[in-house]
Amino acid sequence: MKILRNISYLTILLSFFGTIAFASGHWSLKEAAKPYEGTTVDVVFLLRPGYEAIEAMLPAFEEETGISINIIKHPYENALGEQVRDFVAGGDLDIALIDLVWIGNFAENEWIVPLADVQAKFPDIVDPDLDIDDFFPLVLNAFGGWNDIVYGLPFDNYSGLLFYNRCWLEEAGFGAPPETWGDLKDIYGPALTGDGKYAFALQSKRNETQSADSFARMLWPFGGSFLDADFKSNLNSAESQTGLKFRQDLMQYMPDGIVAYDHAETVNAFSQGDVAMITEWSAFYSTVVSPDTSKVADCVEIAPEPKGPAGRKPALGGFSLAVASQADEAEQAAAYLFIQWATSKANAREYLERGGVPARQSVYMQDGLENFKFVPALVESWQDGVPEFRPRFAEWPEITEIVQEWGTKIMLGEVTTEEGAQEIGTRMEDVLEAAGYYSGDKPLAQ
Amino acid sequence: MNSARPLWPQIILLIVIITVCVFPFYWMVTTSLKTQIVALEAPPVWLFEPTLANYFEALFEDGVLQTLINSLIIAICTTILSLILGVPAAFALARFEFRGKKDLWFWFITNRMVSPIVLALPFFLIARNLGLLDKHVTLILIYLTFNLPIVIWIVTDQFRGIPYDLDEAARLEGASQITIMLKICLPLAMPGVAVSAIFSFIFSWNELMYGLILTRTDAKTAPAMAVSFMEGYNLPYGKIMATSTLIVIPVLIFALIASKQLVRGLTMGAVK
Amino acid sequence: MHRQVSRRTIFAFIGPAVIGLSLVGIAPLLYAVWTSLHFYNLTKLKRVEFIGLENYWKVLTDEVFWQAMGRTFFLLGTALPLQIALGLIIALVLHQPGLTLLKTLGRLSLVLPMATTYAVVGLLGQVMFNQKFGVVNQLLGGANINWIGDPNNAFFMIIFWDVWQWTPFVALVLLAGLTMVPVEIEEAARLETKSNWVLLRFVQLPFLVPGLVAVLILRTADTLKLFDMVFTLTRGGPGSSTEFISLMIQRVGFRGFDQGLASAQAVILLIITIVLAQLYIRVFYKEV
Repeated sequence: MKILRNISYLTILLSFFGTIAFASGHWSLKEAAKPYEGTTVDVVFLLRPGYEAIEAMLPAFEEETGISINIIKHPYENALGEQVRDFVAGGDLDIALIDLVWIGNFAENEWIVPLADVQAKFPDIVDPDLDIDDFFPLVLNAFGGWNDIVYGLPFDNYSGLLFYNRCWLEEAGFGAPPETWGDLKDIYGPALTGDGKYAFALQSKRNETQSADSFARMLWPFGGSFLDADFKSNLNSAESQTGLKFRQDLMQYMPDGIVAYDHAETVNAFSQGDVAMITEWSAFYSTVVSPDTSKVADCVEIAPEPKGPAGRKPALGGFSLAVASQADEAEQAAAYLFIQWATSKANAREYLERGGVPARQSVYMQDGLENFKFVPALVESWQDGVPEFRPRFAEWPEITEIVQEWGTKIMLGEVTTEEGAQEIGTRMEDVLEAAGYYSGDKPLAQ
Repeated sequence: MNSARPLWPQIILLIVIITVCVFPFYWMVTTSLKTQIVALEAPPVWLFEPTLANYFEALFEDGVLQTLINSLIIAICTTILSLILGVPAAFALARFEFRGKKDLWFWFITNRMVSPIVLALPFFLIARNLGLLDKHVTLILIYLTFNLPIVIWIVTDQFRGIPYDLDEAARLEGASQITIMLKICLPLAMPGVAVSAIFSFIFSWNELMYGLILTRTDAKTAPAMAVSFMEGYNLPYGKIMATSTLIVIPVLIFALIASKQLVRGLTMGAVK
Repeated sequence: MHRQVSRRTIFAFIGPAVIGLSLVGIAPLLYAVWTSLHFYNLTKLKRVEFIGLENYWKVLTDEVFWQAMGRTFFLLGTALPLQIALGLIIALVLHQPGLTLLKTLGRLSLVLPMATTYAVVGLLGQVMFNQKFGVVNQLLGGANINWIGDPNNAFFMIIFWDVWQWTPFVALVLLAGLTMVPVEIEEAARLETKSNWVLLRFVQLPFLVPGLVAVLILRTADTLKLFDMVFTLTRGGPGSSTEFISLMIQRVGFRGFDQGLASAQAVILLIITIVLAQLYIRVFYKEV
C-alpha cells in the first residue's frame, strides 16, 4: 500500500487525471469549485511575509471559487500548540500548516490526509497543470512528505541564507562575504566587531529558533548530527562537539544577550545596521530589503551559508499545507483547492513578487528576477540539503524542548558543551526509548 | 504634633512614589501613539507627533475589538454567576450554624491559592471531551474558581456586620430565610456585593493563562490577543502598547472607583 | 446566637456554590490525578497507558523541576522583603498628618499598579527594558545594560516588576494596620518618646502583624501562581533563569505535550500549595 502511494505513483496518477481533463477539453478553477461554493476553510497563518503575500492575493481566489478562507493568525511559537489542541479536540481547522519538523507528528496522528487520497476522492478538483515534479524534490519531500507519502504541498519555503551588509563589508575591505565558517569567525569577526557593532548574530532564543537556527546550524557543517545510525545521541561525537564549541567561540562577535534573540530581534539588528551578517531564512528577504523596515535596504546582499569542514549544510525549514482529516467532505475539497491554488505554478511569480518564497523550480528559471537577490543562493541550497537537519519524527516537539533548554544553558556558559550534549543526549534517548525506537517497535525514520 | 519636622523629605518621597507608579502608564500610552519608526528610535524620543493609527489597526484590522467584547462578555457573565452562587452561600456562612462549616470555609480560601496551571491542564481535557473549547461559557465557568471565593469572602463579612435584630423581627413575622436574605440583609450588604462584583470583574478581565489555553478564535480574550502580537518578524511595539492601553483602561477605572476597598478585597478580609 | 435551620435550607443556600466550585475545581483535579498516573501525551493519544507512579518518580527526581521550585522561592525570598520594607516606608509616610492632597494622590496612584493586567506588565517590561529602544537604559544615563538577555539582569527585572506591582499592595495593607492604632495610644506614646523607631516597634507593630501575615500568605500563593507577567516578559529565559514553577508546568504540558508528566507536576505543586496554605491559615488566620 505504501508503495502504491509513493511519489512516482502519484505523478503517474496525476498525469493520468491530467490527460482526462485535457481530453475533456478544459479544467477551470471556477468549474471545479462550483460544488463547494460557500464553503469556509479555516487555516492557521503565521505573522510572516509569505502569509501576507498570499493574503493579499486571496480576493481573486475567493471571488473565483466562492470559497472563503478564514485565516487565524498566530506567532510561530504558538502555532504548533494551537493546531495540536485543535486537532486533538476535533476542532475547526480544515488545513494543517506544517513546519517540516511537525510532519512526522501530524502524519502519525492521522490528522492530515495524504494528497493522493484527497485527489482520488475528488478527481474533478485536481488541476491538470499541478505538475508536482516542478516542486524542488528536496523541498517537497522534506516539507510535505513523510515515509514516502506526500501529505502537504510546500507553501512557505525557507533555506538558510547568509544576509550581509555589502556597504559595511566593503568599508572594512572585504570584497566578498566569508566562504567558510572559519573565515567568518577568524577574519571577518574581529574586523567587523567593535563600538557596539557586531560581525554576526545567530538567533538563539529558547524557542524553536535555538534548535533550528542555532544548535543544528552548527552541528551539520562540522560533520556532527543529532543521532547516529542506531538513533543514539551523536552529540558527544568529536564533530558535534567541534561545532558546538565553534558556536561558543563565535559568540564574542555577536551582540550581548544573543540567547534572547529570536528572528524578529536578529532581523531587526541587521536592518538597523548594528550587525553585519546574519544567517536567516529566505522568507525574511522582503523585510530586510524594504525601506519601511530596514535602514540598510540598499546594502543587503545574499550569499549561501558558509561552508564548514563537512561542506555547505544550510539550514532547511519551511511549511507545507495539507488537508486536515477532521474537515468534512466539502471542506476537504475546498481546502485542497486552496492549497493547490496557493502553491500553483501559475501563481508562483505573483507570490514571489509580493514577498513570498515559492518552491516551484519553474519560477526561478524565468527572466527578470535580478531584483530577488536571494534566488541563486536559494536554488543552490535546495539542490542538495539535509532533510533531517532537524529530525522530523513525531518525537521532535519533545526533543526540541530539551535542545532549547540545554542549548541555551550551553551558550550562557552554565554547562560545558560536553555536559550540555550529555544532558540532551540522555534525555533525548529517554524520549526515543519510550517511543519504541530501540525495541524495534518503530522504524528508524527521521 | 510633629510640626517641627520639615515637610520636604515627605514631599519628595510622595512625588517619587507617584512618579514610579504612574510613569509606566505614561510610557505605555505615549508609545501607543508612536509610529513604528518612532517607537524603534534609539534612544527613545519623548516628543513626537502622536498618531492614533495603532489603535485603528489594532481595533479594526487585527480584531482586538472582538477580543475586548469577548473579555467583556466573559467578565460580566462570570461576575453575575459568582454573585448568584456566592451570595446565598455567604448568607449561610454568616447566619447558619452547621457541621463542617469551618472546613468548607478553608476549602473556599484554598481555592484562591491554587495555581491556575494545576486546573488548566485537566480542564482543557474535559472541555475537549465535552466539546466546550473556544466557548465563552468555558471561561465563565473556570473563572468561578477564583471569583466565588472572593464573593463569598467579602459578602460573608458584610452579612456578619448586619445586626441580627433585623432578621429576628422579620422571622417572627413568618418570613422565610430567603425573604430575609433578599429583602432585609441584601440591601444592607449592597456595598460589599458591589465591591466583590468589581473584583470579580477585574480578576476575570486580567486573566491570561486560561484564556490562552482554552480559547482559539471565537472566545479569545483581550490579554491572550495582546500576547499574540509578540514574535512576529517585526516588533510592533506601538500596536502592542495600544492594545495594552485598551485592556488596562477599564480596569483602572474600576480600580479607582473601588480603591478604598481594593486592599480588603485582595487580602479577602485578612485585615480588619 | 446562630440559629439552627433545617439541612434543606442550608443546602439550598450553600449547595449551588459548593456544587459549582466542585465541578470546576475538584472534577478537573480528579482528572489530573488520573492523567498523572498515565502515559498521556497529547500528540500520542493512541498510546495512553497506565504507568502507575512513574510520572511522579520522574518529577521528584528531576533536578530541573526542583530548580524551578527553588527559583520560585528565591524570587519570593528576594522580592517580599523589598516589598515589605518599601511598603512600610510608604505606609508610614502616608500615615503622617498633613499634605492631604498629595497623599490622596499618592494613595490613588498606588492603586494603579495592583490593578494592571499582569500580562500587560510583562509587555510593558519588554518595551521599557529593551536594551536599545528602552527608556530604562536612557534614564540610567544612556547605559547599555542588557536586561532581557542576561540571566541575572532578567531575574532582577522580574523582581523589579514584582516589586512595582505589589509594593503598593503591601503599603496599603500596612497603612490600614496603622490606622487601627487608637489615636490616644499613639499620642500618649509620642509624649513618651521622640524616637519613631520605638513608636513603630512597640506601639504600631502589634497592629501591623495581621496585615503582614496576610501579605505573607498571599505573596506566597501568588508567587507559586506567577505566570502571566513572566510569560510575556521573558518566557522563562534566557536559558532557564526566570523559569518559575507555573511556567515550567505550562511548558511541559502545552509545548512538550506531555500532559501526564505535567499533571504529576501540577499535583505536586498543588500539594505544596495546600500544605503551605493550611499551615498559614491554621496558624494565623482568624476563624469564622
